[in-house]
Amino acid sequence: MRITCIPIVITLALSLVQANVTVDKLPRGVAPSRSKIYSPDTKGQWACLDGSKTIPFTAINDDYCDCPDGSDEPGTSACGTGYFYCSNIGHTPAYIKTSRLNDGVCDPECCDGSDEFDGQTRCSNICEQVGTESRKEREKLEKTHKEGNRIRKEYAVFGQSSKKRLQEQLEKLQAVSSSVNQAAADTKSTLDAANAKLKEHLESTKLEREAARELQLAPLIEQQNQRLDHATKIKSLFRTALNDLKENQNKNFHDMAVKATISGYDEYLEELKKQEEEENNSNKDSQEEKEKVRSALERMHTAQDATYDAKKDIGLMFQLLKEMKEKYNTEYNDDAVLKAIKVLDEFAPTWEHSSNDFIGEEFIDIPDEDAGEKKEEAKPEDKGAFGEVYNRIQKGASKVGLGFLFKGSQVSKSEVEIAQEAYNKASEEERKSEEEIQKLEKKVKTDYGPDEAFAKLVDQCVEFKEIEYTYSVCLFGEAKQKSHSDTSLGTFSSWVGDNYDTQLYTGGARCWNGPERSVKVMMTCGTENKILAVSEPSKCEYLYKMETPAVCYDLSENAKNDSNSNAPHVVVYPGEKKHDEL
Amino acid sequence: MESAQGRIKSSKRRTIVRSVLGLGLALACVSAVKREDFKTCSQSGFCARNRAYADIAKETPQWVSPFQLNPSSLRLHKGVLTGDLINVQEDKQPSDKPALAFELHLLDTDAARVRINERNPIHPRYDGVQDTVLIKPYGHATEESYQKLGKDENGILTIQYGAQSQNTVRISSAPFKIEFLVNGVPTVILNDEGLLRFERLRNKEEPKVEEEEGEKQGEEASSDPLVEQKPGGNEIEIAIEKSDLEKKLEENLWEERFKEFTDSKPRGPESFGMDITFSGINHVYGIPEHASSLSLKATRGPDAPYTEPYRLYNLDVFEYEGDNPMALYGSVPFMLGHSKNSTAAVFWMNAAETWIDVEKSPEDKTGGLLSWIKSKKAVQPAATKTHWISEAGVLDLFVFLGPTHRDIFRQYASLVGTTALPQAFSIAYHQCRWNYNNQQDVAEVDAGFDEHDIPYDVLWLDIEHTNGKRYFTWDEAKFPNPTEMQESLSAKGRKMVTIIDPHIKKDGDYHVSKEGAELDVYIKNKDGSSDFDGWCWPGSSQWIDFYNPKARDWWASQFSYDKYIGSTKSLFTWNDMNEPSVFSGPEITIPKDVIHYGNVEHRNVHNLYGTMFHSATAQGLTHRNETNQRPFVLSRAFFAGTQRFGAIWTGDNVASWEHLELASPMLLTIGLSGIPFSGADVGGFFGNPDAELLTRWYQAGIYYPFFRAHAHLDSKRREPWLFGEPYTTQIREAIRTRYTLLPFWYTLFQEASVEGTPIIRPMFTVFPEDEAVFGMDDQYMVGDAILVKPVVKSAVIRSNVYFAGKEKWFDIKDYSVEQGPGFKDIESPADKIPVYQRAGTIVPKRERPRRSSKAMENDPFTLVIALDSVGEASGRLYLDDGESFNYEKGDFILTEFKVSKGVLSSRKVKSTTATSVESSFAEKAGGLRIERLVILGATVPLKKVTVGDRTLQASCSQVGGSYVCTIKEPQVTIGKDFDLSFA
Repeated sequence: MRITCIPIVITLALSLVQANVTVDKLPRGVAPSRSKIYSPDTKGQWACLDGSKTIPFTAINDDYCDCPDGSDEPGTSACGTGYFYCSNIGHTPAYIKTSRLNDGVCDPECCDGSDEFDGQTRCSNICEQVGTESRKEREKLEKTHKEGNRIRKEYAVFGQSSKKRLQEQLEKLQAVSSSVNQAAADTKSTLDAANAKLKEHLESTKLEREAARELQLAPLIEQQNQRLDHATKIKSLFRTALNDLKENQNKNFHDMAVKATISGYDEYLEELKKQEEEENNSNKDSQEEKEKVRSALERMHTAQDATYDAKKDIGLMFQLLKEMKEKYNTEYNDDAVLKAIKVLDEFAPTWEHSSNDFIGEEFIDIPDEDAGEKKEEAKPEDKGAFGEVYNRIQKGASKVGLGFLFKGSQVSKSEVEIAQEAYNKASEEERKSEEEIQKLEKKVKTDYGPDEAFAKLVDQCVEFKEIEYTYSVCLFGEAKQKSHSDTSLGTFSSWVGDNYDTQLYTGGARCWNGPERSVKVMMTCGTENKILAVSEPSKCEYLYKMETPAVCYDLSENAKNDSNSNAPHVVVYPGEKKHDEL
Repeated sequence: MESAQGRIKSSKRRTIVRSVLGLGLALACVSAVKREDFKTCSQSGFCARNRAYADIAKETPQWVSPFQLNPSSLRLHKGVLTGDLINVQEDKQPSDKPALAFELHLLDTDAARVRINERNPIHPRYDGVQDTVLIKPYGHATEESYQKLGKDENGILTIQYGAQSQNTVRISSAPFKIEFLVNGVPTVILNDEGLLRFERLRNKEEPKVEEEEGEKQGEEASSDPLVEQKPGGNEIEIAIEKSDLEKKLEENLWEERFKEFTDSKPRGPESFGMDITFSGINHVYGIPEHASSLSLKATRGPDAPYTEPYRLYNLDVFEYEGDNPMALYGSVPFMLGHSKNSTAAVFWMNAAETWIDVEKSPEDKTGGLLSWIKSKKAVQPAATKTHWISEAGVLDLFVFLGPTHRDIFRQYASLVGTTALPQAFSIAYHQCRWNYNNQQDVAEVDAGFDEHDIPYDVLWLDIEHTNGKRYFTWDEAKFPNPTEMQESLSAKGRKMVTIIDPHIKKDGDYHVSKEGAELDVYIKNKDGSSDFDGWCWPGSSQWIDFYNPKARDWWASQFSYDKYIGSTKSLFTWNDMNEPSVFSGPEITIPKDVIHYGNVEHRNVHNLYGTMFHSATAQGLTHRNETNQRPFVLSRAFFAGTQRFGAIWTGDNVASWEHLELASPMLLTIGLSGIPFSGADVGGFFGNPDAELLTRWYQAGIYYPFFRAHAHLDSKRREPWLFGEPYTTQIREAIRTRYTLLPFWYTLFQEASVEGTPIIRPMFTVFPEDEAVFGMDDQYMVGDAILVKPVVKSAVIRSNVYFAGKEKWFDIKDYSVEQGPGFKDIESPADKIPVYQRAGTIVPKRERPRRSSKAMENDPFTLVIALDSVGEASGRLYLDDGESFNYEKGDFILTEFKVSKGVLSSRKVKSTTATSVESSFAEKAGGLRIERLVILGATVPLKKVTVGDRTLQASCSQVGGSYVCTIKEPQVTIGKDFDLSFA
């Protein structure tokens, strides 16, 4: 393809100049439409297109760069920063950088081979062939585009009407929402009043009930605290093991299993830190709460919560170490790894991993036989719970002889129950209405493009099968990577740029040693919605290329003309002065 | 936000444990080298013993070396002095069978060689390093070229030698000491401190019943008769006599442990050490590879910055630290000392583990040296004392006395070889990443460069391109058509490099593994029969024994196109992990007691292994299907002589400002140690550089002889255009600057290939008399013409640059002028670092932007001529076809340019090997023209410019106090002599 021999460049350069001046008015590499720009003034001078310099017209294409913007050498590589026009007769004219002239490469943009004219490399004129192919290709594209554009218009119609519909729905809901809210508020105050009465009653019997409850729960609390101690000890054992592993593992081994475990542990620590911060913040507000004497039930719950948390942490660390043990490289003999596995092995027989609990340790149920406060005040969220509780309290109380508490009660059961039921109904209505409004608002606010065409894609899911994985995205929803299990690659976050052809999905599952997974979805025009290719240019940053009619935009009049006349956009030099001809 | 947080809190008790697989991390990378994975001197038995010996010498008043030459045994014949060396402590009576043989060779290059070996060891000590490191048997000095000056009253034998009889060597018999003098000034002194120590091979004595340390095997200890251990009495007196230090001399002789590894040491102790004093010299350089300063720091003495000796032991060190004498990937036991008055160097030819202590002697503590110095007033009363310790082999030392740097580089290169002239593409820009994922990715990156108009020459594929880390194979799903891929790159003049490591996956279905097993070419376990098996990227692997000639040839044959399926002429090779890196081995390398061909224990040759691999690979590329193409192979491990086989890089650096800063001293050190073709990964391998760091790294990296960007698998993509503006433009500008200077670089490589000169040069080699630059390593010279000061700190926009000498310096971009000597604050905004051309030099360039170096080969040249204060300048241009060996047959152009008295003369240098090949490159390229002359430092604007009978125009503008003049189209070529006069 390439014939290498070194030219006698000087004579060539000179002949070039002559050719330009005498034979053809148009300097090499200049588009016919710009012939007036490339003509001498009356004194045979010519100004660089950025206006910085005036040179003899004969210096154009003399294979020496005179103009800082490179505009004096459109037909040689001397400046390398200018543009060369290939007429590509039989196909579409094109521009290439003058740095590509006579560089031994037949640039595909210049199918006429005019970019290699020094005789070193012969590039044949393949414009006929390329032109035919490209016309075919273009016809195909145009057809596709036409069909895509038609579908797109349907999308837009759908999108606009659906938006309108949503808007109307929203407005309707918003209109009635105040009366729904009012109803909820009204029933709430009725319930509050009923509750207040009940509370008053319970308050008067509080001390006795608490004393009984204390007696009843004391041994259970004791037992729960022992478990908590145990769990805390194991937890710190694991923490130490993982800290040691992190500190002492041999990084030179690049053992991915060890790396993964340490990454997971770091994530856990991070989470822990976040939680602590949160708790510190919320605790600041509730100093009083802390100082309050806590009931037996509260203490029991606290101990249960703490035990649960400790076990959860143990379970997580157990899993981290277990995964490492299954996958680590036994040939390395890394002391730190072996030590961590030893801790795991010693502990494993006492641990039921599937239920995240110590083997044989059953949950301590809190007996409800005693009459008690359980819930002193029904919270709005606990729909209907109070009536049930109240029932149970009453039943239990009479069973253990505390029924006297309810004797002669001034609070009728049905009063609270009825109020509760009314409130439940009203607040459910309210919740539904709010949810619906939020959902609609979100949909209405989402940017479905200038004419709402993308609304059609909402919740449409497309898949792409690769050797190892299947990649999917539900548009405006979530992107996933699937093999034996699903990994989230992110949820729709925003459009990229202003062209409505690239979407960003963020906040996917975090990578080992990397960021949270994310996907960029780049769309091109096609008649159906499908993913064409998936790649991972950077670790855990994916790129989907997909086709969709939603981006088959109308061709502008200009673009149509261009494509009809096959003319490229005229290249204008940066800093080029406005010419009347343009 | 609030509601979400609230939800998390309220549902805390009910949270389900998140899948561990879904867990990731937001790790701030704070990890770094694990020092405890690598030995300190005290954990390396022989180093500890020899250092203890030095301590004893230091603590002993009037220490006298026990080594003596038997004067009557000395013979000088044909440039070789031989004699018997006695250790008066060990050889109690002057025996007729002296243990050590001493040799001093005077070489025809004015260098000298000192050898000490055991005369009749129980088994031969390994002496094979010379066979692979020295390029040819050297010539000895002729009898006429040296003169024995006889013995003086102290029994000191003096011999004068050297082309100008400038050198003298004085040999003292008792105690043994050798002094090298240049023009009467002592420069290099051996055993001046009396630290020579030589562990003779011996049979292991059955452990005598002595005091047990209590830690030994309980059973044996208890079964031993305790009768002889009388409590109290005579033994105690003896015990007192042995100090702690003396006990150290006997430790870890027969076996030693490090972490969970045991070195069996079947031959027992065989180390040796000796001190080498650089007299009157305060700065020593060399002994790469360390992440440290150019001027070596003291490791001994009261104010020493380091407490550990510099270590030479090729190791794969993860995220190495800066400012540290720890061993790294390569070793060159070459040290150069320099003072205002003298320059000298030594080459300690040993490939076993080696440690070197450096001690600076302050002015008032020269001690024994004073007697020498008194008689010579000009000598600086300072010295650098070095202590060299090797684990095995023979003491084999070369001493180079210059007298200039250039002489030393030539003398050293005449022994170990110069850098091979590389293919032209390989000094252009390389784009690498672990990993470019597949063919599509490769095509997109390639297109990205064109789209952003950034030139590049080579695209690299790391280990993931293979089928399961089986080298010479492709992952067929990702790279279904490698040939097509390479051809589409080569159509644009571009190349590809794939990685090939020395560990071979143990897999009977893998052709390389199978053939290797059949041919029996793997390194053996210490038993000498079974193959060593260790762990590396592919899992269980074996290591090819490149000491086996059969293995080398077989390996080389793997590179032929019909063996390496999917390789083409435009595919080249990257040799990594060749220290060798063994994940499961001691210090992440192979155990010392494994066995090579010829029953050679690995400990003898460790530091050479990587080079043997590098060499066999280069051989493979050179001979694949007889293309007459020069090879290109990048290696991580290196040793003296590596320069003959290809380039090296500084391994797994980090994307930090510190590592950017480290690159300059490391590359300068490696370069002056004979390996000029080297680079540091631009951007830093580990971690993510921000846009500023990456841009600054490119601006510095274009001045590395080997210029490659690389990135870790876990790092974010960082192809030059990914950070957007203004960075893309700044990086493009930097890479283009490299391309414009390629003719200058290629000329420097040619000079290096002939003269052994470094390509990037420490300031002191260009300004040897300016003491201000002796310790300077934050700025340096490219050749003798271009000064570079990289910006290595964030947000720095002014740099303190030292302009050496009394001449002017010209900014290579805007031609602004600075006047030396002295420091000056220079603007270094985001788009440039200070780079200056020195007055008196001529730099050839090709200024047309192109997409690859190949695409520039028909382009005309620009000469940038920087006149000095008397209006003179000189420079040269070397050009050949850039890829074949035809230059060896004289097919090249070497043109010298000189300006004097207003005339620029261009003279083609006749090639000495004038057997020109048919239709030669030189003939054709001779027609390439010089399109532009830029003359800097003219005192007046040029008015009349003529070549022959033609008159040319110069356009001049005033910059600072002088003129910059450009002459358009002088219509001259590089192949034809011309004189151009200007006034």
